[in-house]
Amino acid sequence: MNVSMFALLIGIPLVSSPVVYLFGRLTSRAEVLNRQGWIVRALALLAVTATWWPFVNLWLEFQAGGKRLFTNVESIWIQLDGLTFLLAAMVLTLGTLAILFSGRYMAGEIGEEKYYAMLLAMIGLMIGLGCANDLFNLWVWFEAMAVSSYLLVAFYREQPGSLEAGMKYVVQSAVGSVLALLGVALVLAQTGTLDMDQIQLMVGTMKLNHLGLLAAGALFFIGFGVKVAMVPLHTWLPDAHSQAPSGISAMLSGVVIEAGLVAMLRALSTLTGFALSWGWLLLGFGALNMLYGNLLALQQVQVKRMLAFSSLSHIGYILMGLGIALVSGQAAGAQGASFHLFTHMLMKGLAFLAVGAAMYALFHEQGIHRPLVAHDLNGISTRYPWVALSLSIALLALGGLPPLAGFMSKWQIFVAGFQSGNGWLMGFVVFAALNSVLSLAYYAPLVNRMYRCVSATSVKKGSAAISWTLQLPLLLLALAVVVLGLFPSLMNWLTEPAGAALMSIFK
Amino acid sequence: MTGLLVLSLILVPWLGALVVWRVGDSRPKWQHGLAVGFSVLAGILSVLLIPLASSDAAFSLPMGNLFGDLTFIADGLAVALAAIACVVGSLAVLFAVDYMKGEHQLGRFYSFVLLFIGAMTGLVLSSNLLFLFFFWEITALCSYALISFYNDDPKAVAGGIKALIITQLGGVGLLAGALTVFGTLGTYQIPDLLARSSEITPNLLAVMGFGFLLAAAAKSAQFPFHTWLPDAMEAPTPISALIHAATMVNAGVYLLARFYPVFEHVPGWTFAVMLVGMISALITAVMALTAMDLKRALAYSTVSQLGYMVYAIGAGGIFASQFHLLSHAVFKALLFLAAGSVIHSAGTRDMRKMGGLGKQMPFVRNVFILGALALAGLPIMNGFWSKELILEEGLKHTPLWAYVGMLLGAGLTAFYTLRMSWMVFFGEPREALHAHDAGRAMKISLGILAVGSLTTWLFAGGFSALLEHTLPFHEFHVLTLGALAEEIFLAPATYIALGVVALGLAVSWMVRKQATAPVPAALEALSRQSFGLDWLNQQVVKAVFQSAAVVQKTQTGEMNWNVVGIIGALVVVLGILLWSAS
Amino acid sequence: MNLITLIVIVVACLLGVGLYGLLITRNLIKIVIVLQLLVKAVVLAFVAAGKVSGHPGIGESVAATVIVADTVVAAVALALAVQVRMRLGTLDIPKISSLRG
Repeated sequence: MNVSMFALLIGIPLVSSPVVYLFGRLTSRAEVLNRQGWIVRALALLAVTATWWPFVNLWLEFQAGGKRLFTNVESIWIQLDGLTFLLAAMVLTLGTLAILFSGRYMAGEIGEEKYYAMLLAMIGLMIGLGCANDLFNLWVWFEAMAVSSYLLVAFYREQPGSLEAGMKYVVQSAVGSVLALLGVALVLAQTGTLDMDQIQLMVGTMKLNHLGLLAAGALFFIGFGVKVAMVPLHTWLPDAHSQAPSGISAMLSGVVIEAGLVAMLRALSTLTGFALSWGWLLLGFGALNMLYGNLLALQQVQVKRMLAFSSLSHIGYILMGLGIALVSGQAAGAQGASFHLFTHMLMKGLAFLAVGAAMYALFHEQGIHRPLVAHDLNGISTRYPWVALSLSIALLALGGLPPLAGFMSKWQIFVAGFQSGNGWLMGFVVFAALNSVLSLAYYAPLVNRMYRCVSATSVKKGSAAISWTLQLPLLLLALAVVVLGLFPSLMNWLTEPAGAALMSIFK
Repeated sequence: MTGLLVLSLILVPWLGALVVWRVGDSRPKWQHGLAVGFSVLAGILSVLLIPLASSDAAFSLPMGNLFGDLTFIADGLAVALAAIACVVGSLAVLFAVDYMKGEHQLGRFYSFVLLFIGAMTGLVLSSNLLFLFFFWEITALCSYALISFYNDDPKAVAGGIKALIITQLGGVGLLAGALTVFGTLGTYQIPDLLARSSEITPNLLAVMGFGFLLAAAAKSAQFPFHTWLPDAMEAPTPISALIHAATMVNAGVYLLARFYPVFEHVPGWTFAVMLVGMISALITAVMALTAMDLKRALAYSTVSQLGYMVYAIGAGGIFASQFHLLSHAVFKALLFLAAGSVIHSAGTRDMRKMGGLGKQMPFVRNVFILGALALAGLPIMNGFWSKELILEEGLKHTPLWAYVGMLLGAGLTAFYTLRMSWMVFFGEPREALHAHDAGRAMKISLGILAVGSLTTWLFAGGFSALLEHTLPFHEFHVLTLGALAEEIFLAPATYIALGVVALGLAVSWMVRKQATAPVPAALEALSRQSFGLDWLNQQVVKAVFQSAAVVQKTQTGEMNWNVVGIIGALVVVLGILLWSAS
Repeated sequence: MNLITLIVIVVACLLGVGLYGLLITRNLIKIVIVLQLLVKAVVLAFVAAGKVSGHPGIGESVAATVIVADTVVAAVALALAVQVRMRLGTLDIPKISSLRG
């Protein structure tokens, strides 16, 4: 493997993070450059854009070889497989757009340079997380990613809600990572190694203390599961997603919980061969997540909080796809789950960014800081047609209506369930389909609101126009959601290796 | 050539949707003109497609392993329904030029109408089950968007969401069926399913059959899902005519007809189809009798007529059902559009406030009466031929009680049709409404549909031949016009049916001056509640929201309880793992 | 009783105290302290795990890294707690909990 490319892939965002921070601090001190916030934004955007270059190079190498890429730095082994590339592609796509979006959205906020520094660090750390091939290494990336996200959630320090959400997030996340770490200790005690490939071999061949490994499995499941926001570990998520700046809400929902999922799957994959397939547990939690997320989303008046609960239900679909793959042993479910991971990133990223754009126009420019409630969206299409359109596309796609991407990725998961020929899995699919119907009960009214002729007072008082840097990411994401809905196999290049990688780690 | 035509039937309206949307609401004249242009073009293309019908794939595009090939087959069933969608669609758009004049957000209106027309042709032409479902859902999306077009009216919003949720609920049946096909046969192609259905185990086949029936019942607003259609009447009237009378609601009937050869031997399936059709036809006929809202009365009558089509499929009369579908699409679109002109000019939908409007709008009155004659099933209107054909199939292939039930339905139809026409156009004016006759665009489209109501039965021979030649898995007999006339005029059943219709008209004539519903009070109360099904709908909604409120309490927002969740889940997962290991 | 058993007992006690503390503590600073207890238990567990598996080097290096990583988390948590105290005037969990449902 091309080690220098790998170093660039992780290094560009991680190194540029302190550079951006220092630059921001220095220019804000210097009188002349005081108003030059655009330099920080441009640097951040440049860094994240530059990271695509090593990504593409490594991808080409991966595709030419057809196998996972391996390398070591001293005793630490690094691997790049389909799952790594899926996660990296998601992180970079949404990261680029979120930074572009934040350029205007966060302009002039106190601590803007910290925002970009943390965001860049988080991007680099998430990509790194996908490459770990060692349990402890995985945990370190995971923990570092979590730390970088804590400060982003609690970014609006002057708002009580933001602090409360940040505090809950820190504590719950820390409990989760302690539990996961305890699991790592148990595995180490049983096997004497932390290398994931070796652990898997040893668990498969040696007579090991079953109880310890079972406990380690449960600890991994729950410990990493906190980040995945499986019900009932999810309690931090609605608070954090609704209180963070919109760009961060998009990142949290679109990629951070998915990164947690990748960590959980990698850790669990070392402990296969129990009496109970992990698949059944994933299916159970998936079903719970769908129902719980949908029911609670029905009750929300705050738009961002509603979207947060809808993330819970979408995590449910993803878990179900994975569960189907593990129970039936067929890659279709894993590929469907990978596709849904990707489309959910697009849809939920779009939804949060669109809500952010609306908040910017209606509130931030007027110096108001309050949550956006459903009522505020009344008639927003009359003044901000593109925002209304992209939010509608996002919501309808999340509800699983064609010709949008969410329909196709759900379909792919459902197909996998029926291909297995297992009656229970088919039952889960029907349950999931019914949940999709239920979810329309909260997506559809919101869409209706936006196209009312009578506008809310907040809309009437909103700013005259929305800058193109806020709208461009929305339009790109909306376009992607529509195009992938019409041509779903366009993403096969990414989802197929990811599905195959998942099946091969759970061999 | 066929492939190009098929694709353009979908893409021309979709392109139109894009263009009309981008033209912008500041140029309403352009929007009207472009919408008419694109829909008329689609209508012409759809007629051109009819002679090209064949059972071979017209177009095929590989979409990857999991999605199959996007294939279109323009067989007889498909081209007929596509032509109905595009022709009635263009007439409805033409009508809307007058009807929607001066409305806000015309771009949204026309875009969704054109999107719908394209999706509807896609639905009937697609021979890939996944894409059938895909177009099926797009039609539901458009229907929802157009029902809720007047977003500021909470009733319109509620009606739209109700329609969306119920049709999507039924869609789960179609989804399960389509997935079962792919799971067992490894293909989405409908011809493959028709050819290889014997490879599917009887149990799975039954699941599929009843899943499809569920989907069809929800889409075609059949019992017990008929509650959404009356509420969908909040849509602008051209939409009610196009989507909720002439095209989308037929998709369920189409689905049953299309897959009839697969399921006809599933035990109980044909009986269930027949029963659903019969119950729907009867109860909504009673509801139409008690309705006081002109559009709702027409909506109930639509459910009732769709019930006849579903019943015909249960009786094995695929041609009869499709023939009635054609007649119904024309005469019901006519009735709705005529009702639309009445509502547009009178400014109310309440029939109790109307009366004597015929003098003020003679043209509309005349075409409405033509439509009403067809609906009542009087010779020689198109509705007469197709309804008689259905009743004959029923007499031959279903139990006597079912046939008697449908006869009763025919009598009720005549009853409410006359009542409706009388209340609106005749008698003494009940309130001083200032009505004026239809505008020019309205008159053109009403006139064409009126001519259609008189003449579409002439196509019976060609239509049956088309179906027979292009649907290899169905059993059809070519029924020439002469044979049709012979069959109908020589059968005693026809005269019985006409007698019942005459009886219905006579009763209606006697009670024509009665302002209240001409049925016993208890029945009236029951029918206003949709025979208890609206209540059931409300209970389901209430139960969902109540459980949501209960679940909401678990999100306490206190850190300690949040940690309890984590530790509790850990204990449970550990317990499950230990239990499974022991 | 050998050293390993002793360590396991201590780890179990620390974990028990930590988890129990998380359930009952209502003060943010105390929550952070309780979290530290949990982490220290795990650090000890790593030392023991390294010893048991015959690779003490792995266990010790991991333990050292965990201490560093955890200090960062504790610092962030405390910083947030300070902000909470400054903006809201209290560290009591029920009083700062407004986001629910």
